[in-house]
Amino acid sequence: MGDAGRELVDSMQAGKLEPEVAFLNASLIPDVFPLLAAAHKTLIAKSRDSLTTRTLHSELVYNYSGSKHITESLKRCGISDSTTYILAARFNASPDEMKAAEKLINGKEIELEELEGRANQAQIQKHYKISGLEVGISCLADAITCRIAARDAL
Amino acid sequence: MEIDAEVKDSSLVLIKQGAEARVFESSFVGRRSVVKERFSKKYRHPTLDSKLTLKRLNAEARCMSKARRLGVSTPVLYAVDPLLHSLTFEYVEGPSVKDIFLEFGSNGIVEERLDDIAMQIGGSIGKLHDGGLIHGDLTTSNMLIRTGTNQLVLIDFGLSFTSTLPEDKAVDLYVLERALLSMHSSCGNVMDSILAGYRKSSKQWSSTLNKLAQGANCSPN
Repeated sequence: MGDAGRELVDSMQAGKLEPEVAFLNASLIPDVFPLLAAAHKTLIAKSRDSLTTRTLHSELVYNYSGSKHITESLKRCGISDSTTYILAARFNASPDEMKAAEKLINGKEIELEELEGRANQAQIQKHYKISGLEVGISCLADAITCRIAARDAL
Repeated sequence: MEIDAEVKDSSLVLIKQGAEARVFESSFVGRRSVVKERFSKKYRHPTLDSKLTLKRLNAEARCMSKARRLGVSTPVLYAVDPLLHSLTFEYVEGPSVKDIFLEFGSNGIVEERLDDIAMQIGGSIGKLHDGGLIHGDLTTSNMLIRTGTNQLVLIDFGLSFTSTLPEDKAVDLYVLERALLSMHSSCGNVMDSILAGYRKSSKQWSSTLNKLAQGANCSPN
């Protein structure tokens, strides 16, 4: 993505994205369900004024990571200048806002159905520490969902 | 890029009420779910009560996740709410082992199916125990058979804890043995098949089964 990527990451970190959007490393997302579980968790935290990170959308990235380490979470589950496969998400987005969000990224839009086929299984298993034993009884999406839900109970 | 997760999540239908919690059926971002809410005990001091409730809530979430990491199927955990003291998890479609065994009792045993279920039960408990996890409430109503895959799913980790002591593992099995004897005596000796499955999956089976045998000799009946 190069320079355009650098710019995107910079404006995101400066909180200058218009509209505010969450950019996630889509290689770690095999299905929308765990992302929706993270979004649910995010909205509950917001409604109780207990966000851990600065914005609603960074909280989504943080929650998706299933980890308590904020910097590390944003780095791994968010995007860097070299990321070429991105999932953009926004709460309660209007069609106009989605169009604006689309313009922020220099690339081609694809369907959510492609998530499963494009997910990086090795990277997911490493990041979420999913053993072969667990893969035997569970799909990756469910394993991720459990970690997102149970994080604060650990 | 639209996602329609129908917002019907607020509807809760009571399924069961226990001594520690109420269990509801609901839906979670578009999927059928179960909500288990621990309620407060009015006879306890409020501070103690909320601390205990929260501790047990978190312990249950941890044990469920740990079981999955050990290769034992449990419902997928969807959410933990420390404020409402509730867990939300997957609604597993399928009958309980209790209902299947009761039906064997009234309509005749399907030997092959009984063996498969018993081996799965023994196998799953063996995996939990080798990983140092004690279920704490092994009864046939806390075991489900997933429709379609016939996979055993263990539920209700509300009394679970971690331990590597053979005594604790033996008690876990003993509770199950008593439950089988009282509920499913017409199914023959299921416990033997379960223990066969246990021996196959647990590397530490001998110390556990020794304890179980000792316990049986010391018990009042």
